[in-house]
Amino acid sequence: MRKILIVEDEDILRETYLMIFSTQPYAVDGAENGKVALELCNQKKYDLILLDIMMPVLNGVGFLENYKNTINADTAIILLSNLSSGADLQKAAELGADKSFLKSDLSPKQLISMIRYELEAST
Amino acid sequence: MDKDGYIQTWNKGAEKNKGYKASEIIGKHFSTFYQQSDRDDKKPEHELAIARKLGRAEDEDWRVRKDGSKFWANVVITALHDSSGELVGFAKVTRNLTDRKEHEDSLRQANRLLQLQQKELQQLNMSKDEFISLASHQLRTPATAIKQLLGLLLEGFQGDIPDSIVSVLQKTYQNNERQIAIINSLLQVAQIDSGKVVLEKSNHDINALITKTTDSLSEIISTRDQTLTTDFGSSRAVSNVDAQYIRMAIENIIDNASKYSFDGSDIHVKTEVEGDRVIIMIRDNGVGMSEGDMLHLFEKFYRIPNDLSHKFSGSGLGLYWVKKVVELHDGTIQVESELGSGTTFYVILPRAK
Repeated sequence: MRKILIVEDEDILRETYLMIFSTQPYAVDGAENGKVALELCNQKKYDLILLDIMMPVLNGVGFLENYKNTINADTAIILLSNLSSGADLQKAAELGADKSFLKSDLSPKQLISMIRYELEAST
Repeated sequence: MDKDGYIQTWNKGAEKNKGYKASEIIGKHFSTFYQQSDRDDKKPEHELAIARKLGRAEDEDWRVRKDGSKFWANVVITALHDSSGELVGFAKVTRNLTDRKEHEDSLRQANRLLQLQQKELQQLNMSKDEFISLASHQLRTPATAIKQLLGLLLEGFQGDIPDSIVSVLQKTYQNNERQIAIINSLLQVAQIDSGKVVLEKSNHDINALITKTTDSLSEIISTRDQTLTTDFGSSRAVSNVDAQYIRMAIENIIDNASKYSFDGSDIHVKTEVEGDRVIIMIRDNGVGMSEGDMLHLFEKFYRIPNDLSHKFSGSGLGLYWVKKVVELHDGTIQVESELGSGTTFYVILPRAK
């Protein structure tokens, strides 16, 4: 089963994403900030990481600065960002994020088809 | 005055000004008119010394009347010489400028007050921007979660739903979309008002940017049976811009043009290079607007009341934001419109050398 990590600090959004992906044949973990995500990335190899940018403790940019040292160095990363994260998005792209989507743009179906597409691309 | 500063002659004007009769003051030293503190500082002697040396001394300060009251005076002391050039005394002219002084003081005070108020307003404006930004951030997460959760229901993830409920959910979904659009506009405007927008400028072919924009809008425009046509002049229309911002600005204007045009109409985008300027024209044959509305078009929260404006959600922030973005690029935006026959927007950007 393909493994996905969702890094999102807002409980309600993380839970909603987990709910959406529970309808699919994926094993999904959630992390509430970049630090927790890095700990998970040291233990488990993921096929895809969905990453929020603005988070407490360690934000998305902080995660991207460190994940290359984990066993997930070559895992595809998709940013789920907000409109206001302009400058950070640029930085994130330089640090290896593959794509970015606006959180409020995607419906569950679009989210799933985007992930299916990325997982196929990464195989 | 004699050469030591003792008063020799006295006129009516001086009497009126200072309250002394000639008999009371002739023979007295002119330092009588100075405040005690000035006398202690030897100011009268100092002024005489200057007049003696330079021929003239002028001062503006408080002077004292017979009754002890003060008045603001302009005093000119001029040295008088005889035919052989010997100093024989001084002429002193005192003008009462109390009224002027009071006016100046009250003006200065009013000015200080205005500056203070201006500072307070600036601070209020800043905290208002921060408040809008903070509130919008807080509102966005639940609004996005609602969108996803409604999506789970509407897109069938939770099984079949009766049609009667689907229509309610769809209305909820549409209003949630509207809410998200308003929150996003508020955030964009708060960001641009705070002056924190950093443009990532590089040279871009404006025609290529417009093509990308019209491509992404074609779907929504065709749902209204409208057509979107372009006409790019032969010259290369290159401008130094932040592509993302300019695209969003053009998208905003085209989307407006479409919203305020009836189904089946045409929206035309044309570019021209004119000297050192790139001109983007976005023309519709929609509802148009009155001259009065045009005056307020770029104001925050202004929405033009017409047959179509109630049909679409809008925050009244779009064109305000667009104008700010264009101005950040050293460009200008203009509008021509006529009620009932349509509107043309002109976005004028500096052409890259």
